[in-house]
Amino acid sequence: MHSGRRPFKFNCESMRLKLISCEIFYREICYAVSRSINQVDVEFFPKGLHDIGAEKMRGRLQDALQNVDGAYYDAVLLGYALCNNGVAGLQSNGIPLIIPRAHDCITLFLGSKERYLEIFNQNSGVYYETSGWLERGEELSRDLQPISIQNQLGLNMTYQELVEKYGEDNARYLYEQLGDLTRHYTKCTYIEMGVEPDGRFEQSARKKAGERGWEFEKISGDMGLIQRLVDGPWNGEEFLVVPPGHRAAASYDASILTVEKIQS
Amino acid sequence: MSEWNSLYDAILTGDDKTATAVTEEALEKGAEPLELVNQYMVPAMDEVGKRFEEEEYFIPEMLLSARAMERSLALIQPRLAASGAKPIGRVAIGTVKGDQHDIGKNLVRSMLQGGGFEVYDLGMDVPHEKFIEAIQEKDVNIVCLSTLLTTTMPSMKTIIDNIQQAGLRDRVKVMVGGAPITPEFADQIGADCYGDSAYSAVKLARNLISA
Repeated sequence: MHSGRRPFKFNCESMRLKLISCEIFYREICYAVSRSINQVDVEFFPKGLHDIGAEKMRGRLQDALQNVDGAYYDAVLLGYALCNNGVAGLQSNGIPLIIPRAHDCITLFLGSKERYLEIFNQNSGVYYETSGWLERGEELSRDLQPISIQNQLGLNMTYQELVEKYGEDNARYLYEQLGDLTRHYTKCTYIEMGVEPDGRFEQSARKKAGERGWEFEKISGDMGLIQRLVDGPWNGEEFLVVPPGHRAAASYDASILTVEKIQS
Repeated sequence: MSEWNSLYDAILTGDDKTATAVTEEALEKGAEPLELVNQYMVPAMDEVGKRFEEEEYFIPEMLLSARAMERSLALIQPRLAASGAKPIGRVAIGTVKGDQHDIGKNLVRSMLQGGGFEVYDLGMDVPHEKFIEAIQEKDVNIVCLSTLLTTTMPSMKTIIDNIQQAGLRDRVKVMVGGAPITPEFADQIGADCYGDSAYSAVKLARNLISA
């Protein structure tokens, strides 16, 4: 499909970019790409890759990166954050690799890591909802489920399955202990990005908050970071640019990500 | 080891009712509290850990065994204390500031108790200074820090730095764990070790105490 090598154009007016993204940003990415000055070809991956562990997630993304035609594209973008170290270790394949400096998807929805940190520091027991999380659900896809960390540790069982395996008494105890990672959360925050067709997602988030007994809050998201990801140029404050011959690494400080030179 | 083997079996199979019944009976018949712990309970929990490592047991089995052990231990504890028996070490454990996920921390706590440690559970979302207070007031030998999110990983370094600044670093060992934590990160922030499972935490804690 692609033909003709183009001269390397980095930071120029219009670029050809490849974006490898989590499907959780589907609506936002499509919106941003449609408004971008660049040609951006997008490949979506199933949500929840962080649940298969950093090593397997990195493997899947690295495979995708290896398949990007470095002669055709000017750079490759990731629609991912650090995602539980799942992007740490990724190497660019002959062209720059751009990764938003973020711990998880919430920063991309909120528009900046500083805004996320401010909200996180006020209340860390928050369950976030967006159109993507609501319409695509929390369940892992059928191919990810069996290899998920939860499955490997025996944390993925429903109450009924626990009853069958351990008996009613034990099941009740186990469900209390393991039932839910979010059991100490107190609030559901719905992030409205402005790309939703109507109020259906907000309604659905409200309903869920009610069912869980969580306080409900709606805040406005910010498309800025996602738009700047597909538009470039990529400022070092918001984005990590991994040059050829380098790989991404976690920095464990406010910058979140850093680069390491690959020793040959 | 034979008379109270049913205590060993009950803990290994996570049968808390039998475990507490046997413990009560043993105490009534004059069994030595420390002997029950050292000869039956700790070995049973070691076997649970071994089976977990070999992927024969999973977290639910480990939790049921830990519950059986904790409930039996609760019956024995007053007599242990009265006899002046000392735990093999004292541990303060908590999830760091900003982290609201305590499944892993609770499991490590239970396994450490099962391994013969006295554990002060500081809970989750623990303010940094609480760890310092625990070292000063409870005279703990080991501090265990846990988190599930990369967002809160820098807190681990802050806590270790604070312990250092308070002049207490020589008094305690620091163990870190949680999904995003790596051995390299533990090194980088000056922790003494990284534990990748609840059972490895017990082995590491024993090593730290004997070191």
